Amino acid sequence: MFFKIKPTVTRLNLFLIALLAGASAISQEIGDFQPEEAWDGNPDINGIWQAIGTAHWDLQDHEASAGLPEMGAIGSVPPGQGVVVGGEIPYQDWALEKKQENWAGRPTADPETKCYLPGVPRATYLPYPFQILQGTDKIMIVYGFAEANRTIHMNVENPEAPPLDTWMGRSYGNWEGNTLVVEAQGFLGEAWFDRAGNFASSALRVTERYTPISPDALLYEATIEDPTVFTRPWQIRMPLYRRLEPNARVVEYKCVEFSEEILYGHLMKKEE
Amino acid sequence: MKCRTIFKEIIFMIGKMSSSFLVALLCTFSTAVFAAKPHHITIALSNISEAISWYEEHLDCQAIPGRDDTVNCGNTEIEFFLGRTVGGSQGTGVDRIGFSVADLDAKMAELESVGVRGSGVRLVRFDDGALVREIPGLYKTAFITDPWGTKIELVQDEDLLGFHHIQLNSVDPSEALNFYSQVFGGERARLKGVLDGVTFDGIWVLASEYTDGRPGITQGRTIDHIGFEVASFDEVSMEMSTLGVEFRQEPAVPDNARSSSRQAFILGPDGVTISIVEPGWEGIEEELAVAEAQSTELYVIPRTPWGEPDIQGIWTADAAHGIPLQRGIDVAGTDELTPEEAAARRERGTLNSIWGYDREWRDTTLGYVTSAPSTQVAMVVDPPNGQLPETTAAYKELVANAPARIPPQRARTPEDLGTYVRCITRGPVGMMMPSIYNNGLQILQSPGNVAIQKEMIHETRVISTEPREGFGDGLKTWLGDSHGRWEGDTLVVEVKNLNGRTSYLGSSAEMKLTQRFTRTGPNTLRYEFTVEDPAVWTEPWTGMFNFIKDDNQIELVEYACHEGNYGMTNTLSAARTIDAREAEESEYQE
Repeated sequence: MFFKIKPTVTRLNLFLIALLAGASAISQEIGDFQPEEAWDGNPDINGIWQAIGTAHWDLQDHEASAGLPEMGAIGSVPPGQGVVVGGEIPYQDWALEKKQENWAGRPTADPETKCYLPGVPRATYLPYPFQILQGTDKIMIVYGFAEANRTIHMNVENPEAPPLDTWMGRSYGNWEGNTLVVEAQGFLGEAWFDRAGNFASSALRVTERYTPISPDALLYEATIEDPTVFTRPWQIRMPLYRRLEPNARVVEYKCVEFSEEILYGHLMKKEE
Repeated sequence: MKCRTIFKEIIFMIGKMSSSFLVALLCTFSTAVFAAKPHHITIALSNISEAISWYEEHLDCQAIPGRDDTVNCGNTEIEFFLGRTVGGSQGTGVDRIGFSVADLDAKMAELESVGVRGSGVRLVRFDDGALVREIPGLYKTAFITDPWGTKIELVQDEDLLGFHHIQLNSVDPSEALNFYSQVFGGERARLKGVLDGVTFDGIWVLASEYTDGRPGITQGRTIDHIGFEVASFDEVSMEMSTLGVEFRQEPAVPDNARSSSRQAFILGPDGVTISIVEPGWEGIEEELAVAEAQSTELYVIPRTPWGEPDIQGIWTADAAHGIPLQRGIDVAGTDELTPEEAAARRERGTLNSIWGYDREWRDTTLGYVTSAPSTQVAMVVDPPNGQLPETTAAYKELVANAPARIPPQRARTPEDLGTYVRCITRGPVGMMMPSIYNNGLQILQSPGNVAIQKEMIHETRVISTEPREGFGDGLKTWLGDSHGRWEGDTLVVEVKNLNGRTSYLGSSAEMKLTQRFTRTGPNTLRYEFTVEDPAVWTEPWTGMFNFIKDDNQIELVEYACHEGNYGMTNTLSAARTIDAREAEESEYQE
């Protein structure tokens, strides 16, 4: 059993169980690796991790394409293999149109260009390292970009609904065997999933699973549920790799100043 | 009154439903039958003594000897209590209270000249920019908000000076007025022959139609409830029962009551909480919050399961808000303020910063702050005189030759407005400082690491407590590279590799910052910061204040500062409007 059944997520669980039961690849990835234990006997996932790939450009398969011409090849979009299980993002019709609008307007519409908080799951696979800290009753994830940060409240019985919507949402977690399962919701609905304009609404609910598959890799799976945007829950899956440099750090990436021209350029008085 | 007696009989005969209908129908415009009158307005706020001074100074109310939480405003009392509120009175079942003055223009001119900084009052302008509007056939009227969010209407009604009216919001004003008339015996009448209301010995209860759903409930807002005095609870109970209204709290003499009068609570129409008191009511003696007693036992700092001093939790600098950096002349010989002085200092600090912020931004006026204000006289503890050291000659010269600061209304680009307004950072020293809001600090530890997350702007530093290689010289950041270590039970953090693009009181790019965090009690985290900057100050200096545990919070509320930076857009657009206006004027002159 992958999930502790809670009434609120039963439908999701059944979906996932069905999905995962059919995916023998999963068990191969997880294998029978036994991770080091943290102080509380749970797997030790403290450390600095990073996704490698092109999910931050586009969660789905994508060809190389032109980007900012003035930056030449550096500004182009590298090709990449998708991370969506099954390949398809099951948008409702209106939402697919909206996604295409996002794509067309992305140079200025993408919250990432505006240095806005990236939301979940996008923060995970931005092309920068992030740090997991396992505290006594909370786990904190510190991301560099836009100084994003998440507090995961562990083992909370009957967690209160998020009192207000935020960019990074409210996260509750617990350990299921070697897997850290995090339920995140309470999102503002303005964050995107990638630079291709994939998106969700404030009804978004993300169930993440972090499972150690080797001393230096976690399997990251995130199930995306949003009945106002998608026709069914769907899942992304990718490994997260430990940054092995002894002095690896999450370096603060305050990006505000690089967004100001886009946001306020029309209100600035430029010296001639 | 005959009508009332008749229907008392009928109640027993034909039951509640039909009788209430008949009473409402037949007694609508009956005159008062028994002695009931508005008695008090109860306002929840963050500092009672400041509120008393404010109402004395600006609305001519009088302090009442022996009652340190109430003022008498002519024919009604205003009672204050310390409490959290979730917002002002506007939009609740009691939208505002009204006061009448002899010369409204003079009153508003006086309030305007004292200014927001001096009084904490907010003046509301009408669409045409005027502060006062004459309503034909009625009177002159104006609106202000007290520093705690109570909406107040000022009118010029020579017939009734002082406390004037209670203005309700109601989905059905006529029915609401009937309720007050029937239960409390006021007379349904028209104020100046114009405004439909209920009059009680001259004081009016008025009602406006509320069309945006239902008005907010009063409980938990600044006007928490209104009070009526009745000669007898029996009379009221009878009227209540005809309307199917029940006591929320049965008549009783509360613990700590100053008199032997009883008090009861009911819920009126439109979510208005109403207190009913008997004659002689003198309020309740508030239990004063007693500061955490200084324990004589040696405090043993808890350990994390892996054996490090445990400083985790949600902390707040709210208690420290108001402590000046340097010792003021007025406290030259004082080691510590009294709790009353400290409370007044924090409140004034808040009122002084009212100018740019609506009340809903200021945690202290909202009463969210539960920690007692610090009694510390100044943050600077070294030099021991509480003053910053002498600045260097080179620095003085730098200041003398510095270009003039560009005021916000002339800002050309975001850079002119500074890194705080841009939601980048207040800098490594400034980020920890207390403010009127967002004082939260979350600390989380994992073995060998301490994460310190600040609510304001939202910034997180992960500090390794084990020796490690730092950033190379080529990498500098706004908050720098934090090197931590435990010295006994104190977390010592040395901050290096600062990019020098922020400055605290003139500090240079060469500044060396050392921070110390020590848990000195279950709810107290002592924070010290030492600034060494020989280019600016002739000797190092150290400041100190305490963070207090805030168990009301389970996490810091995300402050998406940049994402919601409407202030930036508005300031720049105002500056461009000023540019355009000036360009137009100079063209005109040519």
